[in-house]
This record gives sequence, structure tokens and C-alpha cells, in this order.
Amino acid sequence: MLHINQLNKSFDQPDGKVSVLQQASLQLEAGQSAALLGESGSGKSTLLHLIAGLDRADGGEIWLQQQPLHQFSDEQFNQLRRTQLSLIFQQYHLVPTLSVFDNLSLQARLTGNLDDDFRQHLIATLGLGPLLKRLPQQLSGGQQQRVAIARSLLHRPALVLADEPTGNLDENTSQQVMQLLSQLVRDNGSSLLMVTHSPAMAAYCDHSWRLQHGRLEAELSA
Amino acid sequence: MKQWFCSVPVLALLLWAGPGYGQQANDVYQVLRDGDGAAQFAPVVPGYTLDFPQDHGPHPDFRIEWWYLTANLEGANGQHYGVHFTLFRQALFAQQQGLEHASPWASGQSWMAHAAISQGDKHLYEERFARGGIGQAGVQSQPVFDAWLDDWQWLGDGPSPLPGQLTLSIQGQPLTLQLSSNKPWVLHGEQGFSQKSEQGQASYYYSQPSINIVGQWQPRTGDSVALTGQGWLDREWSSQPLAENQSGWDWFSLQLADGHKLMAFRLRHSDTEQHYYSGSWITPEHKVTPLNSDDIQLTPTGFDVIDTAQGEKRIPTGWQLSLPTLKRQWQIKARSANAWLDTLFPYWEGPVQVFDNKQAVGVGYLEMTGY
Amino acid sequence: MRSLLWSWLTLLSHYRRHPSQTLFLLLGLITGVALWSAVHIINAHARASYAEADQLLDAQASHWIQAPNGRVALSDYVALRRAGFRQVYPVLELRLSTLDNQPLTLIATDLMAMSASRTSPTQEQSNSRVDMRAWSQLSQPPYAVWVPASLANSLPLQAGQRLTLRDGRQLPPAVTDSQPRQGQRLFMDIGAAAITLGETHLSYLAVGAIDPAELKRLDQWLNQYAPQLKRRSNQQPLDLTELTASLHIHLNAMSLLAFAVGLFIVFNAVRFALHSRASTLTTLRELGVSARTLTSAIVLEGFTLSLIGTALGLAAGFGLSQLLLPAVAATLQHLYGAVLDQRLLLQPQVLLQAWLLTSVGLLMALVWPLWQRSRQGVLAQRQGVDVLQQEQRSQRRLAISAAVLLAIALLSYPWLNSLAHGFALLAALLFAGAWLLPWLASQCLHWLSQNAKPGLAQWCWAEGQVQLGPLRPALMAMLLALTANFGVDNLVGSFRQALDNWLQQRIAADVYVQSEQLDAHQLSQYAWLLDSHERNGLRLRWQGRPTLIRGLDPSAPDVQQLPMASQSYPQGGAAWPDDGILANEQVQHLAGKQLGDVIYLPLGNGEQQRFTLAGFYYDYGNPYFQFYLPYQRVAQLWPNAQPQGLALWLDEDANMTEVEQALVEAGAQPGDWIDRRAILQLSLRIFDRTFAMTAAINTLTFAVAGIALLAALLAIHQQRLPHYAHWRAMGVSWREWLQLTAVPLALCLMLTWVLSIPLGSALAWLLIHDINVLSFGWTMPLQWQGRPALLLALLCLGVTAIAFAIAALQVRQRLPYALKQLGADE
Repeated sequence: MLHINQLNKSFDQPDGKVSVLQQASLQLEAGQSAALLGESGSGKSTLLHLIAGLDRADGGEIWLQQQPLHQFSDEQFNQLRRTQLSLIFQQYHLVPTLSVFDNLSLQARLTGNLDDDFRQHLIATLGLGPLLKRLPQQLSGGQQQRVAIARSLLHRPALVLADEPTGNLDENTSQQVMQLLSQLVRDNGSSLLMVTHSPAMAAYCDHSWRLQHGRLEAELSA
Repeated sequence: MKQWFCSVPVLALLLWAGPGYGQQANDVYQVLRDGDGAAQFAPVVPGYTLDFPQDHGPHPDFRIEWWYLTANLEGANGQHYGVHFTLFRQALFAQQQGLEHASPWASGQSWMAHAAISQGDKHLYEERFARGGIGQAGVQSQPVFDAWLDDWQWLGDGPSPLPGQLTLSIQGQPLTLQLSSNKPWVLHGEQGFSQKSEQGQASYYYSQPSINIVGQWQPRTGDSVALTGQGWLDREWSSQPLAENQSGWDWFSLQLADGHKLMAFRLRHSDTEQHYYSGSWITPEHKVTPLNSDDIQLTPTGFDVIDTAQGEKRIPTGWQLSLPTLKRQWQIKARSANAWLDTLFPYWEGPVQVFDNKQAVGVGYLEMTGY
Repeated sequence: MRSLLWSWLTLLSHYRRHPSQTLFLLLGLITGVALWSAVHIINAHARASYAEADQLLDAQASHWIQAPNGRVALSDYVALRRAGFRQVYPVLELRLSTLDNQPLTLIATDLMAMSASRTSPTQEQSNSRVDMRAWSQLSQPPYAVWVPASLANSLPLQAGQRLTLRDGRQLPPAVTDSQPRQGQRLFMDIGAAAITLGETHLSYLAVGAIDPAELKRLDQWLNQYAPQLKRRSNQQPLDLTELTASLHIHLNAMSLLAFAVGLFIVFNAVRFALHSRASTLTTLRELGVSARTLTSAIVLEGFTLSLIGTALGLAAGFGLSQLLLPAVAATLQHLYGAVLDQRLLLQPQVLLQAWLLTSVGLLMALVWPLWQRSRQGVLAQRQGVDVLQQEQRSQRRLAISAAVLLAIALLSYPWLNSLAHGFALLAALLFAGAWLLPWLASQCLHWLSQNAKPGLAQWCWAEGQVQLGPLRPALMAMLLALTANFGVDNLVGSFRQALDNWLQQRIAADVYVQSEQLDAHQLSQYAWLLDSHERNGLRLRWQGRPTLIRGLDPSAPDVQQLPMASQSYPQGGAAWPDDGILANEQVQHLAGKQLGDVIYLPLGNGEQQRFTLAGFYYDYGNPYFQFYLPYQRVAQLWPNAQPQGLALWLDEDANMTEVEQALVEAGAQPGDWIDRRAILQLSLRIFDRTFAMTAAINTLTFAVAGIALLAALLAIHQQRLPHYAHWRAMGVSWREWLQLTAVPLALCLMLTWVLSIPLGSALAWLLIHDINVLSFGWTMPLQWQGRPALLLALLCLGVTAIAFAIAALQVRQRLPYALKQLGADE
């Protein structure tokens, strides 16, 4: 489903070139979830950005459902992000001026792929029912992240990319959110690639990969 | 500019109708009935002896007055022409003594004139207004008779309008008529006191029903036409000629081939079928037999629907006129229904033919108001 | 398409959640559009009125019939009517003044004579909006005078009241009503006017639509029966359009300035709205909305806003134009004799223009930040940019642009010869000043913080640098408003001073008499008469413009002291040069004639007379060309020249009652004369009315600038609220906060005010020295006045204090919440 082959990426820094990905490779099958572990600054987020087309690799291949993402134009990436991918961020990235309901519907509306029953299902499952009219700033972090999860799943993407989704949340909330996320991804038949530094969170995934010195190594699943 | 001009007829109307008119804008003829307004003007009373040529001139103490000529003429081209010309005078307010000398503008008199010519189904007319006092319009009988408004003028050879010459232009097309008569003036009613209702509304009313006319008409296109024929001049003045319940009138002036003349009118009552009738049967020598409601029967026998500025109107253009006491009866037919004047005071006025058992026995004019 | 729609809706949600931002954005748009469109509507309306001037009341005629003495006999009019000229109707037009010397014009005609014969049955039914009773009131005792509502308000005059004139005569009861084309004039029935004002003659006759054959007949008739009457074809529409062109350009320029000030608010608001939605924009990009779609959505938003702003602005502008119209109408009537209708129409092209203007303005505000964003990748957008550094870059860029603009303006100045160029220079000057301001302020703050003691003072100046960015457009708007106000105040002040001085010299005699019947010789017997001066004159056309010829006595005291701009012969008793002629300044500046130039004037017989220009005299307020010649020479060259009044110099001890008595005995009628004091008062009053509109627009511009400032402050504080919370957490007291935010603001505004003084002076200089000469042909010295500057400083201080107080109050309200958020966020 997702195949990453020998991806290279380096950044220009004031103190010289820093290479974050060196010949990194990874496979993820449909319906599977994988955690991406690694230390801060190891390039975990960069990998997600490269898959989503927010940044460009220096070399290597990314295949998503037999599409060569490494050859995609910006416009193709836009299309991809709108329809087949979704992103979940540590800072939630909700639109502050839209209500919870509008926020969670936003991507599906942009895509035109809005299933009202599924929306009800997500709202119920994520426990967002009583919050629908609120603005993001009126929610707690965990609530905001649940909205972001709903938004990322409503248009039924093939792959969900999550960047430290519980990084701002306390332990209890983190577990709740993680549980919901992994369950919903599984129910939905999507794949999940999640960046985290917490082995506890990684435990919710089918597989774990560790990024170290620019290389990816599979770990035994918990 | 448009607004100015649109407003002007309204103004003229109000000037004509007098103060307080605004509330009754739906009937311009209200001025003829207004009893309260009439109080400040001279009353019409029986027993007054008409005095000529003095009375050919204006009577400014009375509220309203007119000089009214109708004529059935024949053109050198064989066509029939109907002509009418009227000059109306109305006092807007009773003249304050002495003020008229202070400024020519101080006159309370206003003038209105209509001229119309009809030939076949064609009908041309024009309406004019002027204020009194400044010389733009007026009537005088001394030293010679002169009645005018702008360049329309009836100028007598002497103090009488007859003989005289009428010079007009109707929508820019000149018409001149030489008028003369060798018959005496005809006084209607009781020596010129013509009653108009049971309540006492009346006017002074005299006519010259036998006027010989020769004239010239210059239409805008085509040759000028020499005209000859018979005319009828009506003179009338009053301060309140109509009663409150009188909604309009039908007035006939007929010139019969045997030399007799007939003036007859009915004033229609809005509240009853009992209309008010009056008239004069005039012999060729101008001996007059006054006629009243017992002597006259008028029945509409034919109608035409015509377009007017106030919408479609159903106008009686065929009549049966009977004088039961004189055992005479005629059928009267308008030469054309197209004789409506959409003037400030709208009315129908046109030439008619008189029939006696399908035999044409005379000509005349018919005037109908209040329809 | 779907993503465009949802992106657009998502962006618009911002305005729903931030009503105050929305309010200011719209307020800026609305005020800008309103001011611009108000003037535009009035201008268009005025031009339309000129075009109709040949169809309507006084000028309704294609032609006028006039007598050389301005009095047409009633008998001549009646004779014309009786000769069949039914297109001719009488007009009485009188200049009156109220007890307190307010000038009034009365127009009267005979509506009965005007009523064309209604001959066609298809003619429209009349549907007058006028109360019908009002019509009949006009013509019947006690008569009535129609007074336009705005005029009635300014007099003031209640319905039913009788207006008393300066000479004690009374007009009939007033009816506050007017008809199209009445303008700011009183209207009466001609009969009523003639009776109440004792007029025996008509002012002139108007000729309605007339065909060429009739016109020829009319000329023949006049020649034969009334040779003293002259027919003149009505060139008023043409003349008015030409004469008033400069005034309209003036008004337009001022309205554009107001629009520009409004745009500063919009600029500010749009940028701020964009800035506060930066994260939303990035989120949308992350969700797969392409940069192009996003840009389209923003542009679409701009169009939406401009549509709403334009619609509301036009509505407000229409209302505003109703308020301003009387002032403009008064100006036009007094200066040019042009009559403006009281009813305004909104034309579709104004609508379109206003929308285009706002759209262009909005796009201008959006283009730069959008372009900047589009160059950044999605990831970079999340990373903060160095706002301060960016701000300094744009300040430098603006300062350089300002320098370039100034250089272009200076270089092109020597070639200044058209009004458009003049106003372009003005605009360049204003904008150069505005663009220079942020850089100057920044330099000033920088210097202060370098030289301040470390601690609160230094922090304060540094904080000023931070605030300067968002404050920039508001400061520029304030500078424009201050400069325009100061410049125009100086212009008007200088003009008023010059006019006053000039009037003192020009209106030197004690009494002026204008009477047909006056026997001037009869007055010479009185001991109190020191001197007198009789003038004659006529009106003709020269160089396609209405031109006045005046004959005067070269030895008369007022001619001896005639205020001259330049001359080639010695004044004061010297013999008049042989073929010499004096001209008003307008001839020099508008017709481009120089001293010593030869000119030719048309004589009555069709020939031309040669003259040499011997001097130019000041002639403020005169829209026409005017020439002075000796009385006898005018009488000899133009036999149709008519008396133009008599000036009398009185002994100091002369008793005015006695003088008036003598005037009546000599044949004048009450109302035929006016004394010096009254005429001076009258002139200055006309002047003040003329500039009422200018003052109104200026005040409004200032109000707009105040709103811009308030909007900017609110935006700054909202943006800075988390910082303020930090400060609070660090223990900064409320007093210290006030100092940190208010002091740099006060400094910036003081700087703005200081800069507005040289800029405003330059503006006034340009207006007086060049633009005024180009538009009206009047020159005058610039009287620099300090008082307006001080007044403006106070005003500016007041506006700033109010805006700051409102903004500070808001901060106080929101700070506790911001403090709570401190812990919650990153």
C-alpha cells in the first residue's frame, strides 16, 4: 500500500548540511497501522511531510497505492491530500473561526465526499455530540484532537498521517484519543502512519518503525 | 421641464376652478355648481333687460361667461366641415374695488378658449389659457366688438360681433370666417333669463341662430378650402348655472331647412330620471316660443364607445327629439362620433344631421358633457 | 469549484467571529465610497442640470428676449403673444436680500401662459406631486412664495411666515415646496410677484421650443415692432459646463482624497484580517486546497466585501449628497448663476465606478501579502517570519518610493500647465509625505531607544517599533487628513483675507444705486455728496466665453485705487492710454493674454475694435472675462450699453435717512440702493457659502482618519494581547502598560502632525499659486496661518485620546482571559 524506498532528505542549516533521511525505506499494508518512533529532530515529521507532499525529497521513491508520489506535481499532491490522505497534527490545526461541526466536516466538504451517516457515527464514537456548536478555543486539547481525528477520517482517506497526535495531551487523554484513533482507522479500513516518541502510544499500532541516523528500522510489534 | 409642463394643466384647472378645488378633482364641472363660491358674485335674477351692444361685452361681476360659435359649413370641395369656437371667461375671485388699477396683474379674471374643426371622421382642436388684466386675452364691445386670446380674435365691424371676422389657427392651421346676420337676436327663457333648475339656478342667455358665414381653411397639407354655411352664436353668463345634483347636459342647436331653428337642452340629474328640459322654438323670423320640460322629449337611440384620456366612454350619438306640444319629431345623428375634446373641461361637441323619417331636414350642433 | 466555495466560506467565517474587524473594514469602505460617491453624484447631477438649462424655467428657452436695460415692457410681451408667438412667456427674476443681508433670487413666471395647448388626446395626464392647493395659493391673494426646504431651513423661515426684505417689503406667506429646476430660488406667480414687489416691467422673455421659420418671423417682428428688444440664443448649458469645469474637478479631487483616506482603513483591515487568518490559510493548504484556489477564494472575498461596501457606501453617499447638495447648489448659483435641481438620481455608471474603485483598492491591499505567501511553501507558512524585519524593509521601500515620487513631482513642476497635472502633483506630494512618515517615525523611535536609559523607557520605544507596523496605514490616513485640512484652511483663509482686502478697496463708495428712473444730477445739489461715479456696460462674448464690458470714470476715487495685479501705465490721475484697456486677471490667466498684447472686441455692428492690454486688475469671484474702458468710449463704441449703477461717496456726517430720502426724491425706489457695509457683508457671505462644501468634506475626511486610527489600535491590541498577558504575568503594572503603549503612539501622532505642517503649507501654496490660477484665474498671496495648525493639533489629540481610550478599555476587559490562556497554549 505505502512503499518508501531509499528516501533521502537533507536541510541547509547555518552550521552546514544536515542529513535527516538516508536511504530510508518502509512498507505499510492496507488497513495496517504503524508507529514511527525516534528522538526529537530525528526526521520523523519530515518523513510525513514528504509523503503528504508538504516537502520534497532529495532522492528515493514513495509509492502510495501504486502511485509514484515522488513524481507528483504540486497539483497532484493537492488532489492527493484532499482525497486519499489526511493529516493529524500535534497542534490540531483546526480553523478557529469555524464551529466543531464545520471543522470536522471541512475536508469532506472540500472533497465532496460527505457521508452523513458516517459523520453521525464519528461524532457519536468520538463523543463530540454536545460540542458541535462550540468554537475550537472553547475545547480542551483532547476534545480538539478528537475533532481533528473526525475531520481526518470523514472523507475516508486511504492513509492517515498523524504527527504526535497526543503530544499535547496528558496521559489519560492520550490513551483515550489513541484508542479511538486506532480503532476508527481500523474500522474504516485506512492505514495509519503515526509519528510519536512514546512507546506507549506506539503500542496501539500494528507495527513500529524507529528512525535513527536517517535510517528506518522495523521493530517488533508490542 | 416635463414636470413643469405636466403640472401646468393642473394649475390652470385650479385657477379655473377656484379655491378649495383640490378636494373635488374628479369633476372639473364642479365650478358651475359651487353655491358657496357663487355668493361673492352677482346673482342672475329675472326681469333684467338685455342691453345691446353693451351686453355683447363681458360681465366681470358674474363668475362665468362664454361666447360660443358653432357652424355647419360646406367646402368648395363639396365636403362638410363643422367648426366651433368658444371663449370662456371665469372670475377666480371677486374683484377688490380699486385694485385692478394698481397693477394689471391684479385682475381676477382668467380666460380659456377652444377651437375645433371636424371633417368626416377627422377632428382637430386646440385649447388655450390666459390670465386677464394684462391684455393677453379679453372681450370688449366698445368702440368695436373684440374678443381675443393671443392671436385668436373675433373682431366686429362695430360694437356688435356681427358683422365681424373670426381669425383662428388650429394647431398652426389658419381658419378665417366672415360672419354676418340680418336677423334679430334671440332671447331665451324669459327675455334672456334662462332657468337651469327648479331650485332657481339660471343664466342670462341669448343667441344669434342665423349667421351667414364665408371663410377659408388652410390645412397643413393641401390647398386652402373656401367655406360657406350657417353658424350659431350663443352668449351666456351666470354665477352658478348648475344645481348640485346636475351631472351634465345634452344641448342641441338645430337649423332646419324650412328656416326654423330649435335650441333644446336637458340637464341630467344624478339622483333622478326626471331631468330638467328647456329650449326655444324659433321661427324663420326669429319669433321665439319658449319650451319647457313638458314640451321636450329627448331619447338616446344610438351609442358609440370612444377613447378618451379618462378611458373609454359610451356616448349617445343618435337621438330622438320630440316636441309633443308642437307635434314635431326628428331623428338626430352625429356626423362622426370622433368629436371628443380632451381639454381641461372634457366634453363632446360635434356637428349633427337632422332627419325626419330618413329625410335629411336640417343640420345642427350637439354638445354633451358629464359623460 | 466545490473547494473554492468551501474555502471561501471558511475564510468568510472569520468576519462572523470578529464583528469589530468586519465593522471597521466595512466602515472604511462605506465612508470612502460614501464620500466619493456623494461628490460624484452631485457633480454628475450638476452637469446634467447644465445640459437641461436650455429646457428649464429661467433658461428653459432656446432663446431669451431681453431689453438692454433689463426691463421688458408688459405691452411688448402681450403684443408678441397677440402676434401668435405662443412660445414666448414672461419671466420676472429679482435679486433680493433679507433683513440680515442674505442674498436671495426670486423667479416668477405666468404658468397659465406657459401651459401649452393640450391638443393631442394622447398627452400624458398630469400627475403633479404638488399639493394641489399650493398651486391655487400662488395666484390668489394673499398669494404664496415657494421656498425650497433647504433654503427655508437656512433662512430660517417657517411655512406660512412672511419673509421681510432688507428694504422692509414683505413677501407673501411661504410654502416650503419647490419644483424641479427651481434650485435655491424663491418661486412666485408672476402676477403675485409684480403686485407684492411693485414691479411694472418684466425681466426678460423666454422663448420655448421654436421652429426656424417661426424664429425668423420672430426676428422680423422684433425688428419691426420692438427694435429695443434683442433675441439671444441661450448658450447657458455650454457656458455653464465650461465655467464650472474647474469647480467640479476641485470637488472630484477632494472626494478622491476622502476615498483614499477610507482606503487606508480598508487596507489596514484587510491586511489584518489576512494576517489573523494565516493559520487557517495554511490548514486549508494542508487539507489539499491548492494555492490557486485559495488565492481565488481570497479575491472572491475581496469582491464580496467590495460589493457589500459599495452598496452600503452608495446608499450612505446618496444620503450624504442630499445633505451636501444645498451647499454646492448655493455655490453654483452664486458663483455662476447655475440652477441645480433639488432631486438627485443615482446613475448606474456611478454604481459601477464605485464598485470598480473599491475592488481595485481591495486588490491593491491583497496583492502584496498574497504574492508573498504564494512564494512560501506550506511548511514555511507555519514557521514564524521576522515581522519586525519585514516591516523595516517595507518602510525603507516606501521611503524610497516617496523620494522617487517627490523627485518626479519636483522635476515636472516647471511644466505645470493643466489642472489635471496640478492635482496629480498634489496627489504626489500627499502620498510622498504619507509614505515617508513610517520611515521617519521608525528612525525617530530608533534614535530614541538608542539614547534612552535602559529599562522602561527603552522598552517603550522598542514597543513603538512593534506597533508602528499595524499603525502605519492609520498614521498615513491621519497625515492625509491633517495635511488636507491644514492646506485647505490656509487656502480659504488666504482667499478670504485677499477678498476682504480687495473688497475694501474695490467697494470704496458708501452707497451703490441701481435704478432706471434715478436722475443722478439731482443729487449733486446735496452737500453730503462728496463724489459719484456712474458706470455703463454690456455683455458680449469673447473667446467663446461670456464677457462683460464696463465703462467707468478714470478719475473716480475707486478707479484711482483700483487694486491692480499689474499695469503698464501710472495709476492715479494719469490720462487713460489711447487704445488701452484694463482687463481682469482672468483674461491674463485663463485667456493667456499678457500686458501689451493686442486684443479685438466685437462691436454691435459686427466689426472688431482693437485694444492694447494696459493692465490687469484683481477680480475675485468673477467667472467671466471683464474689461474696463472709459465711460464715454463704451457709450461711443457700443450704443446699446446700459447704465450699470451709480456709486456715491458721502460725507462722514451724512445722515443715511436723509440720503435715502434724497434718493427717493431723485426717482429711485426703496430697494434700488445698497450701502457699503451691506454689500461687503453680502460678498463675504457668498464667499463663506461657497466654501461650505470644502469645509464639510474636510471634516468628514478627518472623521474617517479617526476611525482608521481606532481600527488600527483595536487590531494592534488584539494581536498583542498575549504579549500584554506575558507582561502582566511578569508584573508590569497597568500604569506601566499605559506608558508603554500610549507614549510611542503619542510620539507617532505628534510626528504626523508636525509633518502635516510643511506638507499642508506646500499644499496650500500649490493650491493658491498654481491650481487656483489655472482653475479660476485669480491670484492672491498665501497668508500662512498658525491657528489652524494648533486647532488641528487639538483635534488630532482629541481623536487619538478617544480612540486610545476605547482600545485600552477593550484590553482591560480581555486581559484576564488572555492571562488564563497563557498556560494553556504552547
